[in-house]
Amino acid sequence: MAEKINLTVNGVPRTVEIEGWERLIDVLRDKLDLTGAKRGCDDATCGACTVVLNGEAVQSCITGLAKYKDGNVVTIEGLSGGVGKLHPIQQALVDAGAVQCGYCTPGIVLRLYALFGKKPDATDDEIVDALEIHLCRCTGYEAIFEGAKLARGYLKKAAKA
Amino acid sequence: MEFKYIGKDILRPDATAKITGKAKFLADLKLPGMLHCAILRPTVAHAKIVSIDTSEAEKCPGVVKVVTAQGQNYRYGDNIRDFTPMAGDRVRHIGEAVAAVIADSAHHAREAVKKIKPVYEPLPVYVDARDALKPDAVLIHPDSGDFWHLPGLGPKAGTNIANYYKLVKGDVKKGFADAEVTVEGEFNYPFGSCSAIEPHGAIAWFHEDGLIEIWSSSICPFVIRDEVARVYDRPISDVRVHIPEVGGCFGYKSDITVEQTIAFIASFVPGRPVKWVATRKEDLVSTLMGHGIRTKMKLGAKKDGTLTAIQATLYHSTGAYADTGIHVCIGATHNCTGPYEFPNCFMESYLTYTNTPPIGAFRGYGHQEGQFGVERLMDMLARKLKMSPFALREKNYLGEGKTTSLGEKLWKTNGDVRACVANVKKAVFDSPKPKEDEQFYYGRGFVAVMKSPKGAPFSSKGCYLKMNSDGSVCINMGGAEVGQGLRNVVRLVAAEALKIPPERIRVYTEIDTQFSPWEWQTIGSMFTTQGGRAIVRAAEKAIAILKRTAGQVLKCDEDMLDYDGEFVFLKSDPGVRVEVPRLIHGYITGDGITIGEVVQTTSDCRLPRYSGLDPETGQGSAGVEYTFGAQACDIRIEKATGKVLIDHFASSFDVGRVIQPKQIRGQIVGGVMIAIGSTLHEELKFDKDGKCLNPFFGRYRFPTIKDRPAKQTVVCVETPAVVGPFGARGIGEHPLVGVAPCILNAIQDAIGVEFTELPVTPDKVKKALEGR
Repeated sequence: MAEKINLTVNGVPRTVEIEGWERLIDVLRDKLDLTGAKRGCDDATCGACTVVLNGEAVQSCITGLAKYKDGNVVTIEGLSGGVGKLHPIQQALVDAGAVQCGYCTPGIVLRLYALFGKKPDATDDEIVDALEIHLCRCTGYEAIFEGAKLARGYLKKAAKA
Repeated sequence: MEFKYIGKDILRPDATAKITGKAKFLADLKLPGMLHCAILRPTVAHAKIVSIDTSEAEKCPGVVKVVTAQGQNYRYGDNIRDFTPMAGDRVRHIGEAVAAVIADSAHHAREAVKKIKPVYEPLPVYVDARDALKPDAVLIHPDSGDFWHLPGLGPKAGTNIANYYKLVKGDVKKGFADAEVTVEGEFNYPFGSCSAIEPHGAIAWFHEDGLIEIWSSSICPFVIRDEVARVYDRPISDVRVHIPEVGGCFGYKSDITVEQTIAFIASFVPGRPVKWVATRKEDLVSTLMGHGIRTKMKLGAKKDGTLTAIQATLYHSTGAYADTGIHVCIGATHNCTGPYEFPNCFMESYLTYTNTPPIGAFRGYGHQEGQFGVERLMDMLARKLKMSPFALREKNYLGEGKTTSLGEKLWKTNGDVRACVANVKKAVFDSPKPKEDEQFYYGRGFVAVMKSPKGAPFSSKGCYLKMNSDGSVCINMGGAEVGQGLRNVVRLVAAEALKIPPERIRVYTEIDTQFSPWEWQTIGSMFTTQGGRAIVRAAEKAIAILKRTAGQVLKCDEDMLDYDGEFVFLKSDPGVRVEVPRLIHGYITGDGITIGEVVQTTSDCRLPRYSGLDPETGQGSAGVEYTFGAQACDIRIEKATGKVLIDHFASSFDVGRVIQPKQIRGQIVGGVMIAIGSTLHEELKFDKDGKCLNPFFGRYRFPTIKDRPAKQTVVCVETPAVVGPFGARGIGEHPLVGVAPCILNAIQDAIGVEFTELPVTPDKVKKALEGR
């Protein structure tokens, strides 16, 4: 049964008609054309679809209607501020060479966005714990970890400025 | 030689689009009027298809068409044409396409597929080549003798052998007679998956005017184009293949994987594009798997460590179709010597039809499987001879003037394995090894490796270079960016060759066979080498045009002129000059008459001397460009769990010339991690009925950030190569080659157990510890 629901996406209130079975990833990708959330597995084990919902990083492929209805969602499309204005987390991952094929990248950026949003001083171990669910076949994780630590520094610098 | 741009880290051309989520992958594409399809996979791995009832599915909401193999009248393949788009009268593996539903949405297609009712009559299932090779085994392809294949290879009719390859150098009997010591073993590299995070997918569209248009997450648009044209009897120019961003490849998006199947399905709804994206399960078992190679190997040596002979037999359980596995198997066979000169070789391989999904390329293309055995045996031989593993290898390295198993004499420009070995030895072995403590055993291992180019003698890579009126440049090529950073190589090589800043060069994004120059496939770590040389050649042609026009403007011979990126000027008097932008679209003279050619050039690059293999000896030229390297590691084994932890992994390769340091490190560190997965965690498991037991990331143990080595060291050696741009070689596959034997050599060092089968999981280590 089709149903009309409201949610806020990247600061903009949206109304979408959905079928009850649709997960948040379907709404974002198919209804709102926000294809930055990627699908990489069938069982919430790769992290590529991660977005931020009400301040928490969630795997949008298993996030059902009850959770996203009236929710506040941040996707990768909502982070950068125009030409040459990447979000500090995005800039840090680029600077660290953490972007290779790019498929797992948006999910990782948003995981870090949620982590540092809550814990600007997250320790190295907390970063690793947060990123454990995110599978990456390209980088061997070294540049991702370095980029995450760099992001922590960039964000602090930006907060002081 | 001083370089202005190469060797420096610059922003990847694709980084911003990817980090902002704007880069478009296959699954992100929407076309007008697009339909979706879902595919039914069998519940049995080998069976006759008795019937398929599609009537219920046809009545489901949104369904446009249900497709079975009915009407399918061709086979396809590059080497052996054994593939069909869908299972015909029988299914041969668990991931095959039995039927498909085309519907208005992917959801409707998936729902309807569940209503299709096939009836199967099961046949015996063979998962392992050794079973399929038994004399009484049922034939997986009773008609394999009729398959078209390239000359010199192909199935042996009346058996499950899809290809037999034999390589002979010298006299192996004499070699073993001369030996004073021998070692032998059996080594298994089991099934795995490349598992890019982006699954396979394709869109196919049969246009009313006869054009067939395809989008795919692939690295071989031109192979797809040519094969689709052939089977639908269209001129090649009537097939157009697009490649959007590819979210990782690692091998299994080469060759034709899903495109013929999706094209066949779409051919039933002409005028409408049909899209399909694999689920993870389909990506694991309905595309191409990796490895599946078991090797029996024996080495002979003199007491002083001089190698006298190698004998090896490889059994490749290549799955239900062999077209994509055949060269993996041949590559594994002739490269299984590793970087050592054996005067006498006898290697043979049985590429064998089995009832698993087909094997295809896996980053490394046979090298890691073949060299797994030799690097383990070299350590065993060293112990038997009471020599250090370094000293034994030192006596036998390939290099300038030495001859490979294929009979190729190597040049100095093929690189320096000893320099690589020195680097990893210094990184790992020069510090004291930790002593066993309450919690851990400690070990360290070392290997040397060789990577031959894999491709085809006719393989080439094209470049279109276009200068714009402001001096900026557009470069268009057919090489697929899959994350390896190929576009940055293009940009830096072009900048260096044209002497203009990289920011003035825009590199292509999408590949489109309608506009892109021809390239065979982006495989074998050959893009930097061949693609890079093609860029240099295109740049030289462009500079020649500039000089030709400038010669008319400056009223002198072209060879009196030089070019510096900004001006073409008189060598003897640089003040006499003309600005490059004024020459690009032709020079406009005072009266408006315009002279000179527009600066847009084309070029390509093949590997020199690359030949086919001699049918008797199996020898030939693999194409000049060898690469050597070495790897070493420090590991610890947790006593309580048997878990192997990598404290330090060091790699050194002779890359010829570093184009971009950060990217090379990324390639090597990432490649090592994939092979750590194969070594310690990953195996795609099948039961005796051919059913996959773990076709999900939840159960296929993919390495996470917590599995990464505590430290990786990467050191590049730069012995300039002859083909690649400014001496550069590719490095894509190389980091994987030595990882498994390196870690297993370290495990032996730590606990004295000789593992020969992968993956070495904590359970196996624990059991071995208990059994000591």
